[in-house]
Amino acid sequence: MPETSEIRRQKDSQSNPQGEEIRIGVYTCHCGGNISDVVRCEKVAKVLSEMPNVVVSRTHMAMCSDAGQAMVEEDIRERGVNRVVIGACAPSLHEQTFRRTVARAGLNPYLYYHVCLREQDSWVSGGDCEGATEKAIRLMAAGIAKARHLKALDPIRLDAKQRALVIGGGVAGLRSAWDIARRGIQVTLIEKSPFLGGRMAQLETTFPAGETARELLHDLIERVLAHPNVTVHTRAELVGVRGYVGDFHVQIRRQSRGVSDDFAQAQAEAAIAACPVEVPDEFNYGLTTRKAIYRAYPGCTPATPAIDWENCTLCGKCLQVNGQGIDLENKPETFEINVGAVVVATGFRPYEPRQGEYGYGEFPEVVTLPQLIRLLALAGESEGLEWNGHPVRNIAMIHCVGSRQIEGIHEPQPDGQVNDYCSRVCCTATLHLANELRGRFPNVNVFDVYQDIRTYGRGHEDYYTQASANMVRFLRFHAEEPPEVVPAPDGDSCPVLVKIKDYLTWGEEIEVPVDLVVLAVGIMPRPIDDLIKMLKISPGTDRFLLEVHPKLRPVETAVPGIVLAGTAQGPMNIQESCAAASAAAAKVAVLLGQGLVELEPFVARVDPERCRGSGQCVEVCCYEDAISLQTFSVNGREVQRAVVTPANCTGCGACVSACPNRAIDVQGWTLEQYEAMVDAIAADLPASEVGV
Amino acid sequence: MNGKEEAKKRTQLLKRLREEHKDTVARTQALLKEQNAIRKQICQVMRDAPKTVPEVAEATGLPASQVLWHVTAMKKYNLVVETGMCGEYYLYRRVEETKI
Amino acid sequence: MASDKLRVDALVVGGGIAGMQSALDLADQGYQVALVEKEASIGGKMIALSKVFPTLDCCSCITTPKMSAVAHHRNIHLLTYCEVQSIRENGGGFVAQVLKKPRYVNEDLCTGCRQCEYACPIDLPDPFDRGYGAHRAIRVPFSTAVPQIAVLDIENCLLCGKCEQVCPVSAVDFTQTPQQLEIEAGSIVLATGYEVTPRDAKKEYGGGKLPNVIDALFMERLLAPTGPYGHVLRPGDGKEPESIAYVQCAGSRDQTLGVPYCSRVCCMYAIKQAMLISGALPLADVTIYYMDIRTFGKGYEQFYQNAKAMGIEFVKGKVARITEDENQNPIVRVELIDEGSRVVERTHDLVVLSVGMLPRYNPQPLYGVPVADDGFVEVPSPNISPCVTDRPGIFVTGTAAGPMDIVDSIMTAGAAASEAAAYLRARKSASSVSTTTGKERELVYA
Repeated sequence: MPETSEIRRQKDSQSNPQGEEIRIGVYTCHCGGNISDVVRCEKVAKVLSEMPNVVVSRTHMAMCSDAGQAMVEEDIRERGVNRVVIGACAPSLHEQTFRRTVARAGLNPYLYYHVCLREQDSWVSGGDCEGATEKAIRLMAAGIAKARHLKALDPIRLDAKQRALVIGGGVAGLRSAWDIARRGIQVTLIEKSPFLGGRMAQLETTFPAGETARELLHDLIERVLAHPNVTVHTRAELVGVRGYVGDFHVQIRRQSRGVSDDFAQAQAEAAIAACPVEVPDEFNYGLTTRKAIYRAYPGCTPATPAIDWENCTLCGKCLQVNGQGIDLENKPETFEINVGAVVVATGFRPYEPRQGEYGYGEFPEVVTLPQLIRLLALAGESEGLEWNGHPVRNIAMIHCVGSRQIEGIHEPQPDGQVNDYCSRVCCTATLHLANELRGRFPNVNVFDVYQDIRTYGRGHEDYYTQASANMVRFLRFHAEEPPEVVPAPDGDSCPVLVKIKDYLTWGEEIEVPVDLVVLAVGIMPRPIDDLIKMLKISPGTDRFLLEVHPKLRPVETAVPGIVLAGTAQGPMNIQESCAAASAAAAKVAVLLGQGLVELEPFVARVDPERCRGSGQCVEVCCYEDAISLQTFSVNGREVQRAVVTPANCTGCGACVSACPNRAIDVQGWTLEQYEAMVDAIAADLPASEVGV
Repeated sequence: MNGKEEAKKRTQLLKRLREEHKDTVARTQALLKEQNAIRKQICQVMRDAPKTVPEVAEATGLPASQVLWHVTAMKKYNLVVETGMCGEYYLYRRVEETKI
Repeated sequence: MASDKLRVDALVVGGGIAGMQSALDLADQGYQVALVEKEASIGGKMIALSKVFPTLDCCSCITTPKMSAVAHHRNIHLLTYCEVQSIRENGGGFVAQVLKKPRYVNEDLCTGCRQCEYACPIDLPDPFDRGYGAHRAIRVPFSTAVPQIAVLDIENCLLCGKCEQVCPVSAVDFTQTPQQLEIEAGSIVLATGYEVTPRDAKKEYGGGKLPNVIDALFMERLLAPTGPYGHVLRPGDGKEPESIAYVQCAGSRDQTLGVPYCSRVCCMYAIKQAMLISGALPLADVTIYYMDIRTFGKGYEQFYQNAKAMGIEFVKGKVARITEDENQNPIVRVELIDEGSRVVERTHDLVVLSVGMLPRYNPQPLYGVPVADDGFVEVPSPNISPCVTDRPGIFVTGTAAGPMDIVDSIMTAGAAASEAAAYLRARKSASSVSTTTGKERELVYA
């Protein structure tokens, strides 16, 4: 049991060396005009220069530039500045930058305070220069007040587990896993479905190089599976997460496959044939059916079939072929692994048009682009194209279905929002397919109904040029006047008409009779609300997972150690998904490669002399193992005192408000500091500055 | 090495470099001559009052785009300053100590 | 001063955003990196921009910290004003001969005080401002340059010695000569970037001839706080423009120029600039003449819709020709596609050509890395391995492999770093047999 002396020592290490003169350097950044266009930075600097403890007050066009940082370093080295306050952009952008600057000059990085003058002032002041300048002075004054009470802190250093979890077995997850493994870090990849490959497996030839999707994919899967650093679990889902960057404990629930891996190939075919259940085959988007014991597609990985527990009737017909390798009882198992980082590669789902949208679900002649891809694959080498038992001679392909939606024109999704984003891949995918159609079925006319053709990628424009050369007919609509799909009048040769106001021909109303309407549906994020909650990450307004900053930290989420790969983050094609996945792997390697991770020291800290062991802090704490009561011996008497486990504490401050004895503070954000800030922000400005 | 020797060495070095870069130095010297002549004209026009670029162009007969380039250069190196607007054009004033 | 021989894990060629990010992503993993940049400062094209889409962050806010991080990173050897002259293979790695061009300024002494620049008598067109601003024969390249060290352009120098006289630390050094430097590296990342379409590429548009027809990179400078005029003014006469037009695809998607591809960034930068102009000149009208608006990235379509709501005029039309009236106001002759291809002439104060991206550097002769028909580095397996070139150990990132925006460049920079790291590790394992199975090695090289 620790002695009182232990408690005292803890207390001492917290206190500041006595008699240190506080010398504050204050810097007001112009932010290249972002701040200085509204805030009179020179004025702010002048007022601040007269505040107690401020030894230098300067401005700079861009504090974050090398020159700006050098200025701070010089003031620390040459002028004895020992507290730094910079007023600039949001701390999320450059607080870290300036902490490094301060540290380079030999000062503890936590003797720095970042004031936001851009997002909290200049950008939101509507051009009110006077008001914004006064607000800047007050915000900065509060920063200075806090700086007087700043104490040196050390980051929390933790061992980083040399293993990453990749969630999702599509191309992004696979690519990420492979890169992480090659970097010498162990990887566990979990895939919800029984088979690897994700959406890419459902494609045929890919743009821009014409490679076959499944060949590329199988090559990648083989490399991943062969790598000694990779463990793959199919039918596995994340069900729980504890811990923090470097040391996450993740619970994984894995369902039985129902079929053992050594089940012979020939027997598998017989068992599948024996199954009497027929359900729509999601691989072919419902165009065909499959059995309840099934493979996703011929040649899929793993090759062993799986039992579809939702649809299996447990009739036992498959057992009659050879019961040895089949077990019709689903025995889900949950296990825990310890990982340092998590890659979220949960992918996308194609937009599902609502009933009646462009005739979808009303007329059998209306299909989606992913369905058409499967349809063409199923058609094989046949001479003519058929749909619904009828030959297809005219096809209309409508772009932007479920993308670029406009409020008031398009019906919102169940969450009340429209999909106002561009899905990025559909234009090239549509033209790629239009060309294939024209090539394979020269008698089929293709009408391409679009707003803007976005064949932006390398080699993509060629598909557009080719489509024009291939006599694909283009019709252009305006977003506010979307085309309509209506039944053709009786006796018409085609079953449906596409009505469009075509702006390539004077905005003329045109009716195109067609046999098949293909909706180029967009990309939507998979519904992963549970996962989002578990990982405490956030979606953006477009519902895709949100990165910290698209340029500064493009694959990181706001939760340290959790990174994004592929279309979970937003629409991307295969190439972009792979680049993003590799970038995510690089970030994982940066985080874990050094064996150590650092966490911010902004965690709760107990003053053992004030603590009376009331335990109220433990009650209000929402985090596991973050604060607990432990028994200490004080003068031979046993007492209860609160103890914080820094790695589990998020610094939320709930315990601070609960403590009746003011015995807890959050380091770096103490009550003393807050009080000083509030006093400063509310203080009267010097008389000369009133009405700046 | 004393200061004299150093200065002598330096002079020799510059001389050698000038010889090596004879053509470019001559070209730059011609450019400087032209630049100074134009600057002189611009400063003349701005002598009494701030002027806009088209005003300077009209007074000197130089193309407005050329005047703007020179005014921009002079502004960068603090030889002229901007002093408000006249219609759609900014006014530029000569900085007092400017000597061309 | 760098030593004559340097051994690193990776050599990154090009100090633009892609090269810097790749270097940082490798260095943060503990690899030793040499970053070679031919200009006197890193920062590439990005550092000259005003604000960046779709967040409208000021460009310096994103670029300068990365420049600073590169300069201060203990695992990065920054070599500016240097050019790779030859590459040879050496036991699976590479040896690069690098030419260090003379700055005529002692890098260890110079403090970047710019007194030399003020003393220099000759003003020259500054390429950083697309020639519309001026700099001196000796100068710090630009205000946020890294390193903050002056460079003397001997080709445009009077050799008057004034800079030498005023330098407070005697850093000006006319005795400097080109230096040779050898860099041994396990792998190479090419981040050689792009070039924009020359202003005068399409004669019909009058770029380079009509004074008030500019390219979009110059508009970036006009909108930047450090821009040459400090305001948005037209370069013909300094007038504050009231009517500004953008001509999209001026250099892209144009078979007559041999550039059939889309440059990916022009729609977004034009929309961004239009928004920024609306902020700087609230009374100005901005029109964008376009064929297709391609706002495909994350948050881009929403950005476009915001621009429309702000009143920026989008006109689907093909611009045939640009001429000017007697006041040098550009006249745009355009076929209005939404109005039955009616041809009209519209007069604006300023026309901005949304120029495209062209390949800047062909690495075939030096690096043995082939380029594709479009002139950008060929990527044999673009879908699965977008950063892997035809030559093992050499990777490509950013616009060296085709047009892309900053977000995508940064993404590929991470990917190239990942590839290079994996390659370096496999190479190391291959040389010390103990840690790797034969299978892994074979797969890695596959």
